[in-house]
Amino acid sequence: MTLLLLLPALALAAAVFLWPLLRYGWLSLQAHSVLTALVPVPNGGANWQRLLADGRFWQDAAQTLRFAGLSVGLELLLGLSLALLLHRPLPRRGLVRAVVLLPWALPTTVMALGWRWILNDPFGPLNGLLRSLGLPAYGFLSEPRSTWLFTVLADVWKTTPFVALLLLAGLQAIPAELEEALRLEGANAWQRLQRLTLPLLAPYMLLAALFRLAQALGVFDLIQVLTGGGPASSTESLALYAYLNAMRFLDFGYAATVMLGMFALVLGLSALVLVGQAMRRRWAAAGLTP
Amino acid sequence: MSRTSLPLLLAALGWSLMPLLWQLLTSLRTAEALVLQGAGAWLQGWTLDNYRLVLQGDPPFWRYLLNSSLVGAASTGLTLLLAIPAAYGLQRQRPALRGALSLALLAAAMFPYVLLFLALLELARALGWGNQLLALALPYAGLSLPLAVLLLRAAFADLPEELEDAARLEGLNLWQRLRRVLLPLLAPAIASTAILVFLFSWNEYPIALTWISRADLLTLPVAMARIAGSSVYAVPYGAFAAATVLGALPLLALVLVFQRQIVSGLTQGAVKG
Repeated sequence: MTLLLLLPALALAAAVFLWPLLRYGWLSLQAHSVLTALVPVPNGGANWQRLLADGRFWQDAAQTLRFAGLSVGLELLLGLSLALLLHRPLPRRGLVRAVVLLPWALPTTVMALGWRWILNDPFGPLNGLLRSLGLPAYGFLSEPRSTWLFTVLADVWKTTPFVALLLLAGLQAIPAELEEALRLEGANAWQRLQRLTLPLLAPYMLLAALFRLAQALGVFDLIQVLTGGGPASSTESLALYAYLNAMRFLDFGYAATVMLGMFALVLGLSALVLVGQAMRRRWAAAGLTP
Repeated sequence: MSRTSLPLLLAALGWSLMPLLWQLLTSLRTAEALVLQGAGAWLQGWTLDNYRLVLQGDPPFWRYLLNSSLVGAASTGLTLLLAIPAAYGLQRQRPALRGALSLALLAAAMFPYVLLFLALLELARALGWGNQLLALALPYAGLSLPLAVLLLRAAFADLPEELEDAARLEGLNLWQRLRRVLLPLLAPAIASTAILVFLFSWNEYPIALTWISRADLLTLPVAMARIAGSSVYAVPYGAFAAATVLGALPLLALVLVFQRQIVSGLTQGAVKG
């Protein structure tokens, strides 16, 4: 009886999450593009062979990993600092939290457009700053070697508040007496952080890392509006490549293959993070400090 | 408040606000002032023309705000309608099944949903849902359900079971128990869930981008991307900045008003999810 109450929600969620994956599995075994007059024709594993040999796919995979790795790393670091800061007694706590939260709440495309102006060469405010320091203008969005760093900057700006709030929840769950006891034992702030706060925060860090990793590997809105994948495809992400295959090259069979390839990547990395965490815990239980 | 935390706090607030303040400043300057920026130029070159340009565009900018609000409201309503009974049902399952379903929902909530857009677009085409603004509520509700069910399930779990047993003994049926006893106690959790779903729907991009092509039906994020579609090197930036400011204002208001609900939604998700 109570199972019936679950069914409508599960059915809609399955239609949205499971159906596409099944459909991609089938599509990835079809030639389905303008060349086949947009009619699906089974082509064995040709899409998968093409994927393995597709330099652009692997380049985008490496670029997506690079983006996600640096973004999530910085977000955890800055998010932890911000959470520790917000955990202290602060004046006007509600207002402070609202301001800190604001970047996370804004639509990604709105601020991607904003960052495009801030990074504009030569008129944007950052170049204005360089100029007032007597330095030459810099092409923040036109240097293939460095532009990806500024996509990371925009992502870190936007999602650090999310990580900070998750970790703040973890901090608030730590009993104040424990901290006090350590303080009486003479542990300084750094030792208290290392011996008490970080171990107890680990599950929250893991959750934030997994969640952010999956989202960062799927980065799309930000890249499409901020750089369009350029310059010279140096910031193109897998999601953008899949989108281009579907909507610009009208190659649905291959687009589905790219999406499944990306899904495998997300799954593999998440498993890696989980296994790494489990092993660390086992080492800790065996008395070894990693 | 210690000596060290005030400068750190100001730095954090500045980091959050600076990019937005730059947009505000830019939106109030003429194109010439933005290009010249010479010393002493601060006294002249102020204008409201950028806002006039954006608000009198075709369609006018408020249209996108209206579209996003409609989609957000419809998605939030539909999600709660499905998620509340589901959360109740989930809480009443045997622990083994409940654990397995919760884990599946957590995995779905983390899923990078951008992957799903192509198959969802095919569905929309097959069913004739392209360019139907409110049809977006279906995928948005589907995508929001995992998190919504988890948040509400955790809230149901916090209510003592004796409460419902007592109501059952008084002869209230399931609907009456939910309506009169359980839901009023769940109001804070429902508010938190609603605001998170609304924010997601308001901000969603890839699906709105592929389902809607008519200019007067665009939601705000897609309209912004389209405005941005002109060349990276073009400089109608005053107008861009005005659009950014107008696009950020409703969210600023939402965050200021619902800060408590948003924080509690996010943190409940972390503690119990």
